[in-house]
Amino acid sequence: MTIALEGVGLTHPGGFQALRQLTLQISSGERVAVIGPSGAGKTTLLQLLGTGLMPSAGQLHLLGDDPARLQARGLKRLRTRIGLIHQSPPLPPRQRVITAVLAGRLGSWSLSRALVSLCYPLDIPGARAMLEPLDLDDKLFVRCDQLSGGQLQRVGIARVLYQRADLLLADEPVSAMDPVLADHTLALLNRIAADRGVTLVASLHAVDLALRHFQRIIGLRDGNVLFDRPSAQVSDDDLSALYANQSLAEQGHEVVRPARPAGLGAGTGILRTAPRCL
Amino acid sequence: MSKRLEALLWVMALIAALVASFSYLEMDLAGLFRSDSATQMLGYTQAFFPPDLSSGWLRQIFHGALETLAISAIGTLLAGLSGAALSLLAAGRLGRLAKASSRLLLNTLRSVPELVWAALMVLAAGLGPFAGTLAIALHTTGVLGRLFAEALENVPTAPAKALRDSGAGPVAAFLYGTFPGVLPQWVAYSLYRWENNIRMAAVLGFVGAGGLGQMLYVTLSLFQQPQAISVIIAMLLMVLLVDALSAWLRIRLA
Repeated sequence: MTIALEGVGLTHPGGFQALRQLTLQISSGERVAVIGPSGAGKTTLLQLLGTGLMPSAGQLHLLGDDPARLQARGLKRLRTRIGLIHQSPPLPPRQRVITAVLAGRLGSWSLSRALVSLCYPLDIPGARAMLEPLDLDDKLFVRCDQLSGGQLQRVGIARVLYQRADLLLADEPVSAMDPVLADHTLALLNRIAADRGVTLVASLHAVDLALRHFQRIIGLRDGNVLFDRPSAQVSDDDLSALYANQSLAEQGHEVVRPARPAGLGAGTGILRTAPRCL
Repeated sequence: MSKRLEALLWVMALIAALVASFSYLEMDLAGLFRSDSATQMLGYTQAFFPPDLSSGWLRQIFHGALETLAISAIGTLLAGLSGAALSLLAAGRLGRLAKASSRLLLNTLRSVPELVWAALMVLAAGLGPFAGTLAIALHTTGVLGRLFAEALENVPTAPAKALRDSGAGPVAAFLYGTFPGVLPQWVAYSLYRWENNIRMAAVLGFVGAGGLGQMLYVTLSLFQQPQAISVIIAMLLMVLLVDALSAWLRIRLA
Protein backbone atom coordinates (compact mmCIF):
# COMPACT_ATOMS: atom_id res chain seq x y z
CA MET A 1 0.00 0.00 0.00
CA THR A 2 1.60 3.26 -1.11
CA ILE A 3 -0.82 5.61 0.60
CA ALA A 4 -3.13 4.88 3.53
CA LEU A 5 -5.19 7.50 5.35
CA GLU A 6 -7.15 6.53 8.50
CA GLY A 7 -9.58 9.21 9.63
CA VAL A 8 -7.15 11.96 8.71
CA GLY A 9 -8.22 15.51 9.52
CA LEU A 10 -6.34 18.71 8.91
CA THR A 11 -7.12 22.07 10.48
CA HIS A 12 -5.14 25.08 9.27
CA PRO A 13 -3.63 27.43 11.89
CA GLY A 14 -6.45 29.93 11.24
CA GLY A 15 -8.95 27.32 12.41
CA PHE A 16 -10.22 26.40 8.94
CA GLN A 17 -10.90 22.69 8.71
CA ALA A 18 -9.62 21.70 5.26
CA LEU A 19 -9.91 17.90 5.60
CA ARG A 20 -12.25 15.93 7.88
CA GLN A 21 -12.05 12.24 8.72
CA LEU A 22 -10.51 11.20 5.42
CA THR A 23 -10.05 7.46 4.92
CA LEU A 24 -8.38 6.38 1.70
CA GLN A 25 -6.16 3.68 0.29
CA ILE A 26 -4.10 3.96 -2.86
CA SER A 27 -2.01 0.98 -3.89
CA SER A 28 1.33 0.98 -5.56
CA GLY A 29 1.22 1.81 -9.26
CA GLU A 30 -2.31 3.24 -9.19
CA ARG A 31 -3.06 6.44 -11.11
CA VAL A 32 -5.67 8.52 -9.35
CA ALA A 33 -7.27 11.89 -10.13
CA VAL A 34 -8.71 14.05 -7.35
CA ILE A 35 -11.47 16.37 -8.55
CA GLY A 36 -13.78 18.75 -6.75
CA PRO A 37 -14.83 22.39 -6.53
CA SER A 38 -12.44 25.14 -5.42
CA GLY A 39 -11.77 25.01 -1.70
CA ALA A 40 -12.65 21.33 -1.46
CA GLY A 41 -9.24 20.51 0.04
CA LYS A 42 -7.47 19.12 -3.04
CA THR A 43 -4.29 21.16 -2.58
CA THR A 44 -4.26 20.46 1.16
CA LEU A 45 -4.58 16.73 0.52
CA LEU A 46 -1.67 16.80 -1.92
CA GLN A 47 0.50 18.83 0.46
CA LEU A 48 -0.32 16.29 3.16
CA LEU A 49 0.74 13.45 0.86
CA GLY A 50 3.89 15.44 0.03
CA THR A 51 4.72 15.80 3.77
CA GLY A 52 4.56 19.59 3.45
CA LEU A 53 1.77 19.47 6.04
CA MET A 54 1.24 17.04 8.90
CA PRO A 55 -2.24 15.72 9.77
CA SER A 56 -3.85 17.21 12.88
CA ALA A 57 -5.87 14.01 13.43
CA GLY A 58 -5.78 10.39 12.30
CA GLN A 59 -3.10 8.16 10.80
CA LEU A 60 -1.17 8.76 7.60
CA HIS A 61 1.06 6.14 6.00
CA LEU A 62 3.23 6.97 2.99
CA LEU A 63 5.41 4.35 1.28
CA GLY A 64 5.37 2.31 4.46
CA ASP A 65 6.32 5.17 6.81
CA ASP A 66 4.37 7.37 9.18
CA PRO A 67 5.81 10.86 8.46
CA ALA A 68 4.56 12.28 11.76
CA ARG A 69 6.70 9.77 13.70
CA LEU A 70 9.88 9.95 11.62
CA GLN A 71 13.08 11.58 12.82
CA ALA A 72 14.66 14.29 10.68
CA ARG A 73 16.88 11.85 8.81
CA GLY A 74 14.07 9.40 8.09
CA LEU A 75 11.76 12.18 6.96
CA LYS A 76 14.44 13.48 4.59
CA ARG A 77 14.82 9.99 3.10
CA LEU A 78 11.06 9.63 2.70
CA ARG A 79 10.83 13.05 1.07
CA THR A 80 13.36 12.16 -1.63
CA ARG A 81 10.93 9.37 -2.63
CA ILE A 82 7.96 11.74 -3.01
CA GLY A 83 7.75 14.35 -5.78
CA LEU A 84 5.12 17.10 -5.78
CA ILE A 85 4.37 19.08 -8.96
CA HIS A 86 3.06 22.50 -7.91
CA GLN A 87 0.34 24.42 -9.68
CA SER A 88 2.58 27.48 -9.95
CA PRO A 89 6.09 26.04 -9.75
CA PRO A 90 8.13 27.76 -7.03
CA LEU A 91 11.22 28.46 -9.15
CA PRO A 92 13.50 31.46 -8.55
CA PRO A 93 12.94 33.82 -11.53
CA ARG A 94 16.64 34.23 -12.27
CA GLN A 95 17.50 30.54 -12.13
CA ARG A 96 18.26 28.79 -15.40
CA VAL A 97 15.99 25.97 -16.48
CA ILE A 98 18.81 23.42 -16.31
CA THR A 99 19.56 24.29 -12.67
CA ALA A 100 15.87 24.26 -11.75
CA VAL A 101 15.48 20.77 -13.22
CA LEU A 102 18.66 19.37 -11.66
CA ALA A 103 17.51 20.69 -8.25
CA GLY A 104 15.03 17.80 -8.28
CA ARG A 105 17.73 15.41 -7.12
CA LEU A 106 19.23 17.57 -4.35
CA GLY A 107 17.84 15.13 -1.80
CA SER A 108 20.04 12.32 -3.06
CA TRP A 109 23.06 14.44 -4.01
CA SER A 110 25.90 15.24 -1.64
CA LEU A 111 26.36 18.89 -0.73
CA SER A 112 29.66 19.12 -2.65
CA ARG A 113 27.98 17.75 -5.78
CA ALA A 114 25.14 20.27 -5.35
CA LEU A 115 27.71 23.09 -5.00
CA VAL A 116 29.64 22.08 -8.11
CA SER A 117 26.43 21.67 -10.12
CA LEU A 118 25.37 25.17 -9.12
CA CYS A 119 28.45 26.58 -10.88
CA TYR A 120 28.55 24.08 -13.72
CA PRO A 121 25.50 21.84 -14.39
CA LEU A 122 26.70 18.26 -13.92
CA ASP A 123 23.97 16.27 -15.64
CA ILE A 124 23.01 18.15 -18.80
CA PRO A 125 21.93 15.00 -20.71
CA GLY A 126 19.74 13.90 -17.79
CA ALA A 127 17.91 17.22 -17.66
CA ARG A 128 17.59 17.32 -21.43
CA ALA A 129 16.04 13.85 -21.42
CA MET A 130 13.33 15.06 -19.03
CA LEU A 131 12.62 18.26 -20.99
CA GLU A 132 12.58 16.64 -24.43
CA PRO A 133 9.19 14.86 -24.22
CA LEU A 134 7.76 18.08 -22.75
CA ASP A 135 8.96 19.95 -25.86
CA LEU A 136 11.22 22.25 -23.84
CA ASP A 137 14.72 20.97 -24.58
CA ASP A 138 15.48 24.15 -26.54
CA LYS A 139 14.97 26.19 -23.33
CA LEU A 140 17.63 24.32 -21.35
CA PHE A 141 19.81 27.38 -20.69
CA VAL A 142 17.08 30.02 -20.60
CA ARG A 143 16.25 31.83 -17.37
CA CYS A 144 12.94 30.90 -15.73
CA ASP A 145 11.61 34.47 -15.85
CA GLN A 146 11.70 34.33 -19.64
CA LEU A 147 9.18 31.44 -19.79
CA SER A 148 5.39 31.55 -20.07
CA GLY A 149 3.16 30.10 -17.35
CA GLY A 150 2.63 26.88 -19.28
CA GLN A 151 6.34 26.49 -19.98
CA LEU A 152 7.11 27.09 -16.31
CA GLN A 153 4.64 24.38 -15.31
CA ARG A 154 6.42 21.97 -17.64
CA VAL A 155 9.79 22.86 -16.09
CA GLY A 156 8.24 22.03 -12.70
CA ILE A 157 7.08 18.69 -14.09
CA ALA A 158 10.53 17.98 -15.56
CA ARG A 159 12.13 18.66 -12.17
CA VAL A 160 9.89 16.17 -10.38
CA LEU A 161 10.34 13.57 -13.14
CA TYR A 162 14.12 14.03 -12.79
CA GLN A 163 13.79 13.43 -9.05
CA ARG A 164 12.79 9.78 -9.80
CA ALA A 165 10.26 9.65 -6.97
CA ASP A 166 8.30 6.52 -6.07
CA LEU A 167 5.19 8.59 -5.47
CA LEU A 168 4.28 11.31 -8.00
CA LEU A 169 1.91 14.02 -6.80
CA ALA A 170 0.59 16.75 -9.07
CA ASP A 171 -1.45 19.75 -7.97
CA GLU A 172 -3.28 21.11 -11.03
CA PRO A 173 -0.27 20.33 -13.21
CA VAL A 174 -1.78 21.59 -16.48
CA SER A 175 -3.85 24.59 -15.35
CA ALA A 176 -1.77 27.10 -17.36
CA MET A 177 -1.62 25.06 -20.59
CA ASP A 178 -3.79 25.11 -23.69
CA PRO A 179 -6.14 22.10 -24.14
CA VAL A 180 -3.92 20.22 -26.61
CA LEU A 181 -0.79 20.68 -24.52
CA ALA A 182 -2.67 19.78 -21.32
CA ASP A 183 -3.90 16.57 -22.92
CA HIS A 184 -0.43 15.70 -24.18
CA THR A 185 1.21 16.46 -20.82
CA LEU A 186 -1.25 14.38 -18.80
CA ALA A 187 -0.84 11.47 -21.22
CA LEU A 188 2.92 11.79 -20.80
CA LEU A 189 2.71 11.86 -16.99
CA ASN A 190 0.55 8.74 -17.01
CA ARG A 191 2.81 6.96 -19.45
CA ILE A 192 5.93 7.73 -17.41
CA ALA A 193 4.18 6.66 -14.20
CA ALA A 194 3.13 3.41 -15.87
CA ASP A 195 6.62 2.80 -17.33
CA ARG A 196 8.29 3.39 -13.98
CA GLY A 197 5.57 1.55 -12.08
CA VAL A 198 5.11 4.48 -9.67
CA THR A 199 1.95 5.80 -8.08
CA LEU A 200 0.45 9.01 -9.51
CA VAL A 201 -2.04 11.23 -7.68
CA ALA A 202 -3.13 14.40 -9.49
CA SER A 203 -5.72 17.04 -8.69
CA LEU A 204 -7.52 18.47 -11.70
CA HIS A 205 -10.14 21.07 -12.44
CA ALA A 206 -10.97 19.71 -15.89
CA VAL A 207 -13.26 16.73 -15.33
CA ASP A 208 -12.98 15.48 -18.93
CA LEU A 209 -9.18 15.28 -18.62
CA ALA A 210 -9.48 13.39 -15.34
CA LEU A 211 -11.94 10.87 -16.80
CA ARG A 212 -9.91 10.39 -19.95
CA HIS A 213 -6.49 9.86 -18.40
CA PHE A 214 -6.94 8.30 -14.97
CA GLN A 215 -8.13 4.90 -13.85
CA ARG A 216 -9.64 6.02 -10.60
CA ILE A 217 -11.44 9.24 -9.61
CA ILE A 218 -11.82 10.63 -6.10
CA GLY A 219 -14.44 13.37 -5.73
CA LEU A 220 -13.58 15.70 -2.85
CA ARG A 221 -16.02 18.22 -1.38
CA ASP A 222 -15.70 20.27 1.80
CA GLY A 223 -12.82 18.08 2.98
CA ASN A 224 -14.80 14.84 2.59
CA VAL A 225 -14.66 12.09 0.00
CA LEU A 226 -17.94 12.31 -1.90
CA PHE A 227 -17.20 9.39 -4.20
CA ASP A 228 -14.24 7.16 -5.01
CA ARG A 229 -14.62 4.80 -7.96
CA PRO A 230 -13.10 3.72 -11.27
CA SER A 231 -13.44 6.45 -13.88
CA ALA A 232 -15.72 4.33 -16.07
CA GLN A 233 -18.26 4.19 -13.25
CA VAL A 234 -18.40 7.92 -12.50
CA SER A 235 -21.92 9.03 -13.39
CA ASP A 236 -23.33 12.42 -14.30
CA ASP A 237 -25.18 12.40 -10.99
CA ASP A 238 -21.88 12.04 -9.16
CA LEU A 239 -20.47 15.04 -10.97
CA SER A 240 -23.50 17.28 -10.54
CA ALA A 241 -23.57 16.43 -6.84
CA LEU A 242 -19.87 17.29 -6.65
CA TYR A 243 -20.06 20.66 -8.35
CA ALA A 244 -23.67 21.74 -7.62
CA ASN A 245 -22.64 23.07 -4.28
CA GLN A 246 -22.65 26.76 -5.15
CA SER A 247 -26.41 27.21 -4.74
CA LEU A 248 -26.47 24.62 -1.96
CA ALA A 249 -23.83 26.47 -0.02
CA GLU A 250 -25.79 29.71 -0.24
CA GLN A 251 -28.93 27.98 1.02
CA GLY A 252 -26.88 26.44 3.77
CA HIS A 253 -25.76 29.90 4.85
CA GLU A 254 -29.35 31.05 5.06
CA VAL A 255 -30.20 28.05 7.20
CA VAL A 256 -27.34 28.43 9.66
CA ARG A 257 -28.03 32.14 10.04
CA PRO A 258 -31.34 32.15 11.81
CA ALA A 259 -30.57 35.08 14.11
CA ARG A 260 -31.89 37.66 11.70
CA PRO A 261 -35.68 38.00 12.08
CA ALA A 262 -37.35 39.34 8.94
CA GLY A 263 -39.73 41.56 10.87
CA LEU A 264 -36.99 43.67 12.46
CA GLY A 265 -36.76 47.26 11.24
CA ALA A 266 -33.80 48.30 9.11
CA GLY A 267 -32.73 50.91 11.65
CA THR A 268 -32.39 48.46 14.52
CA GLY A 269 -30.62 46.04 12.19
CA ILE A 270 -27.93 48.59 11.42
CA LEU A 271 -27.61 49.56 15.07
CA ARG A 272 -27.16 45.94 15.96
CA THR A 273 -24.59 45.12 13.32
CA ALA A 274 -22.59 48.33 13.25
CA PRO A 275 -20.60 47.78 16.46
CA ARG A 276 -19.69 44.28 15.30
CA CYS A 277 -18.32 45.64 12.04
CA LEU A 278 -16.10 48.02 13.96
CA MET B 1 -3.46 86.06 18.39
CA SER B 2 -1.63 83.79 20.78
CA LYS B 3 -0.50 81.69 17.79
CA ARG B 4 1.17 84.69 16.21
CA LEU B 5 2.84 85.52 19.47
CA GLU B 6 4.09 81.95 19.68
CA ALA B 7 5.48 82.10 16.10
CA LEU B 8 7.19 85.39 16.89
CA LEU B 9 8.77 83.86 19.98
CA TRP B 10 10.09 80.92 17.94
CA VAL B 11 11.65 83.26 15.33
CA MET B 12 13.29 85.32 18.09
CA ALA B 13 14.66 82.16 19.72
CA LEU B 14 16.11 80.99 16.38
CA ILE B 15 17.79 84.35 15.80
CA ALA B 16 19.19 84.31 19.32
CA ALA B 17 20.58 80.79 18.78
CA LEU B 18 22.22 81.83 15.49
CA VAL B 19 23.83 84.90 17.05
CA ALA B 20 25.02 82.83 19.99
CA SER B 21 26.54 80.24 17.61
CA PHE B 22 28.45 82.89 15.68
CA SER B 23 29.86 84.49 18.79
CA TYR B 24 30.70 81.10 20.33
CA LEU B 25 32.67 80.03 17.22
CA GLU B 26 34.35 83.47 17.00
CA MET B 27 33.93 83.42 13.23
CA ASP B 28 35.54 86.32 11.42
CA LEU B 29 33.19 86.47 8.43
CA ALA B 30 34.01 90.08 7.82
CA GLY B 31 37.62 89.03 7.25
CA LEU B 32 36.50 87.38 4.02
CA PHE B 33 35.60 90.74 2.56
CA ARG B 34 38.50 92.98 3.67
CA SER B 35 40.40 94.85 0.97
CA ASP B 36 43.51 92.64 0.97
CA SER B 37 41.70 89.29 1.40
CA ALA B 38 40.91 88.89 -2.32
CA THR B 39 44.56 89.30 -3.30
CA GLN B 40 45.59 86.91 -0.52
CA MET B 41 43.17 84.25 -1.77
CA LEU B 42 44.33 84.76 -5.32
CA GLY B 43 47.95 84.42 -4.20
CA TYR B 44 47.23 81.17 -2.34
CA THR B 45 45.32 79.76 -5.31
CA GLN B 46 48.12 80.74 -7.68
CA ALA B 47 50.58 78.82 -5.55
CA PHE B 48 48.75 75.61 -6.67
CA PHE B 49 49.43 76.29 -10.34
CA PRO B 50 50.80 74.99 -12.54
CA PRO B 51 50.11 71.44 -11.26
CA ASP B 52 53.15 69.22 -10.92
CA LEU B 53 52.92 66.92 -13.96
CA SER B 54 56.46 65.58 -13.86
CA SER B 55 56.60 61.90 -14.77
CA GLY B 56 58.02 60.91 -11.39
CA TRP B 57 55.18 62.55 -9.46
CA LEU B 58 52.55 61.23 -11.89
CA ARG B 59 53.88 57.71 -11.34
CA GLN B 60 53.59 58.19 -7.59
CA ILE B 61 50.02 59.47 -8.04
CA PHE B 62 49.21 56.46 -10.20
CA HIS B 63 50.45 54.14 -7.47
CA GLY B 64 48.48 56.11 -4.88
CA ALA B 65 45.32 55.84 -6.98
CA LEU B 66 45.85 52.11 -7.37
CA GLU B 67 46.29 51.83 -3.61
CA THR B 68 43.03 53.74 -3.02
CA LEU B 69 41.20 51.50 -5.48
CA ALA B 70 42.65 48.40 -3.86
CA ILE B 71 41.73 49.58 -0.35
CA SER B 72 38.13 50.19 -1.39
CA ALA B 73 37.84 46.97 -3.41
CA ILE B 74 39.32 44.65 -0.78
CA GLY B 75 37.47 46.47 2.00
CA THR B 76 34.14 46.11 0.18
CA LEU B 77 34.84 42.48 -0.72
CA LEU B 78 35.64 41.59 2.90
CA ALA B 79 32.55 43.48 4.02
CA GLY B 80 30.41 41.67 1.44
CA LEU B 81 31.58 38.26 2.67
CA SER B 82 31.26 38.95 6.37
CA GLY B 83 28.05 40.92 5.79
CA ALA B 84 26.56 37.92 3.98
CA ALA B 85 27.50 35.62 6.84
CA LEU B 86 26.12 37.98 9.48
CA SER B 87 22.97 38.68 7.47
CA LEU B 88 22.05 34.98 7.64
CA LEU B 89 22.09 35.28 11.43
CA ALA B 90 20.41 38.69 11.40
CA ALA B 91 17.56 37.38 9.24
CA GLY B 92 16.84 34.85 11.99
CA ARG B 93 17.88 31.73 10.09
CA LEU B 94 19.80 30.28 13.03
CA GLY B 95 17.68 31.12 16.02
CA ARG B 96 16.60 34.16 17.96
CA LEU B 97 19.69 34.59 20.12
CA ALA B 98 21.94 34.67 17.02
CA LYS B 99 19.53 37.13 15.41
CA ALA B 100 19.57 39.57 18.32
CA SER B 101 23.33 39.43 18.87
CA SER B 102 24.25 39.77 15.20
CA ARG B 103 21.86 42.73 14.84
CA LEU B 104 23.54 44.39 17.78
CA LEU B 105 26.96 43.76 16.22
CA LEU B 106 25.84 45.12 12.82
CA ASN B 107 24.35 48.22 14.43
CA THR B 108 27.57 48.89 16.32
CA LEU B 109 29.74 48.43 13.23
CA ARG B 110 27.48 50.72 11.23
CA SER B 111 27.10 53.51 13.75
CA VAL B 112 30.87 54.14 14.01
CA PRO B 113 31.92 56.20 10.93
CA GLU B 114 34.72 55.03 8.64
CA LEU B 115 37.03 57.86 9.70
CA VAL B 116 36.74 56.90 13.36
CA TRP B 117 37.34 53.24 12.48
CA ALA B 118 40.38 54.35 10.44
CA ALA B 119 41.80 56.35 13.34
CA LEU B 120 41.33 53.32 15.61
CA MET B 121 42.80 50.91 13.04
CA VAL B 122 45.85 53.12 12.51
CA LEU B 123 46.49 52.73 16.23
CA ALA B 124 45.87 48.98 16.08
CA ALA B 125 47.49 48.01 12.77
CA GLY B 126 49.88 50.88 12.14
CA LEU B 127 49.99 53.52 9.43
CA GLY B 128 49.20 52.47 5.86
CA PRO B 129 46.70 50.82 3.54
CA PHE B 130 45.99 47.85 5.83
CA ALA B 131 44.39 50.14 8.40
CA GLY B 132 42.28 51.80 5.70
CA THR B 133 41.11 48.46 4.34
CA LEU B 134 40.10 47.28 7.80
CA ALA B 135 38.27 50.53 8.51
CA ILE B 136 36.24 50.30 5.32
CA ALA B 137 35.57 46.59 5.83
CA LEU B 138 34.30 47.13 9.39
CA HIS B 139 31.89 49.98 8.64
CA THR B 140 30.65 48.47 5.37
CA THR B 141 30.04 45.09 7.03
CA GLY B 142 27.52 46.85 9.27
CA VAL B 143 25.82 48.51 6.30
CA LEU B 144 25.79 45.53 3.94
CA GLY B 145 24.86 43.02 6.66
CA ARG B 146 21.73 45.01 7.40
CA LEU B 147 20.79 45.44 3.72
CA PHE B 148 21.49 41.77 2.93
CA ALA B 149 19.35 40.66 5.87
CA GLU B 150 16.46 42.80 4.64
CA ALA B 151 16.76 41.25 1.17
CA LEU B 152 16.73 37.78 2.78
CA GLU B 153 13.60 38.59 4.75
CA ASN B 154 11.74 39.79 1.65
CA VAL B 155 12.65 36.96 -0.74
CA PRO B 156 9.89 34.37 -1.42
CA THR B 157 10.21 31.27 0.76
CA ALA B 158 8.27 28.89 -1.51
CA PRO B 159 11.23 27.76 -3.68
CA ALA B 160 13.34 26.66 -0.71
CA LYS B 161 10.34 25.06 1.01
CA ALA B 162 9.56 23.04 -2.12
CA LEU B 163 13.15 21.76 -2.21
CA ARG B 164 13.06 20.85 1.50
CA ASP B 165 9.83 18.93 0.84
CA SER B 166 11.59 16.91 -1.85
CA GLY B 167 14.33 15.88 0.56
CA ALA B 168 17.01 18.56 0.03
CA GLY B 169 19.15 19.55 3.01
CA PRO B 170 18.91 23.06 4.46
CA VAL B 171 22.13 24.32 2.85
CA ALA B 172 21.32 22.93 -0.60
CA ALA B 173 17.75 24.29 -0.39
CA PHE B 174 19.15 27.71 0.52
CA LEU B 175 21.64 27.68 -2.36
CA TYR B 176 19.13 26.53 -4.99
CA GLY B 177 15.94 28.13 -3.64
CA THR B 178 16.80 31.33 -1.78
CA PHE B 179 20.22 32.44 -3.01
CA PRO B 180 19.21 33.09 -6.67
CA GLY B 181 16.48 35.39 -5.36
CA VAL B 182 18.76 37.57 -3.23
CA LEU B 183 21.95 37.51 -5.31
CA PRO B 184 21.04 40.36 -7.74
CA GLN B 185 20.15 42.64 -4.82
CA TRP B 186 23.29 41.67 -2.91
CA VAL B 187 25.45 42.47 -5.93
CA ALA B 188 23.71 45.80 -6.56
CA TYR B 189 24.11 46.86 -2.91
CA SER B 190 27.78 45.85 -2.92
CA LEU B 191 28.52 47.81 -6.10
CA TYR B 192 26.82 50.88 -4.70
CA ARG B 193 28.77 50.66 -1.46
CA TRP B 194 32.00 50.13 -3.41
CA GLU B 195 31.34 53.39 -5.24
CA ASN B 196 30.90 55.16 -1.89
CA ASN B 197 33.96 53.45 -0.48
CA ILE B 198 36.26 54.69 -3.27
CA ARG B 199 35.43 58.26 -2.29
CA MET B 200 35.86 57.35 1.36
CA ALA B 201 39.21 55.61 0.71
CA ALA B 202 40.49 58.81 -0.90
CA VAL B 203 39.81 60.68 2.34
CA LEU B 204 40.89 58.01 4.83
CA GLY B 205 44.54 58.82 4.11
CA PHE B 206 44.13 62.00 6.17
CA VAL B 207 44.30 59.92 9.33
CA GLY B 208 47.23 57.95 7.91
CA ALA B 209 45.40 55.04 6.32
CA GLY B 210 47.16 55.06 2.94
CA GLY B 211 46.19 55.91 -0.62
CA LEU B 212 45.78 59.27 -2.39
CA GLY B 213 44.47 60.91 0.78
CA GLN B 214 47.73 60.33 2.57
CA MET B 215 49.65 61.90 -0.34
CA LEU B 216 47.33 64.91 -0.27
CA TYR B 217 47.73 65.29 3.48
CA VAL B 218 51.52 65.07 3.31
CA THR B 219 51.89 67.53 0.40
CA LEU B 220 49.51 70.06 1.99
CA SER B 221 51.37 69.84 5.30
CA LEU B 222 54.68 70.48 3.51
CA PHE B 223 53.16 73.42 1.52
CA GLN B 224 53.82 71.59 -1.77
CA GLN B 225 50.74 73.07 -3.49
CA PRO B 226 51.59 72.09 -7.13
CA GLN B 227 51.95 68.47 -6.03
CA ALA B 228 48.76 68.69 -3.98
CA ILE B 229 46.63 70.01 -6.88
CA SER B 230 47.75 67.09 -9.10
CA VAL B 231 46.56 64.70 -6.38
CA ILE B 232 43.21 66.55 -6.14
CA ILE B 233 42.77 66.39 -9.92
CA ALA B 234 43.61 62.67 -9.85
CA MET B 235 40.97 62.11 -7.13
CA LEU B 236 38.34 63.96 -9.16
CA LEU B 237 39.10 61.95 -12.28
CA MET B 238 39.03 58.67 -10.39
CA VAL B 239 35.69 59.38 -8.74
CA LEU B 240 34.13 60.51 -12.04
CA LEU B 241 35.42 57.39 -13.75
CA VAL B 242 34.15 55.06 -11.04
CA ASP B 243 30.72 56.77 -10.97
CA ALA B 244 30.36 56.25 -14.71
CA LEU B 245 31.55 52.64 -14.52
CA SER B 246 29.27 51.76 -11.63
CA ALA B 247 26.23 53.41 -13.28
CA TRP B 248 26.92 51.44 -16.46
CA LEU B 249 27.31 48.18 -14.50
CA ARG B 250 24.08 48.69 -12.59
CA ILE B 251 22.15 49.42 -15.78
CA ARG B 252 23.53 46.21 -17.25
CA LEU B 253 22.64 44.17 -14.16
CA ALA B 254 19.11 45.54 -13.80
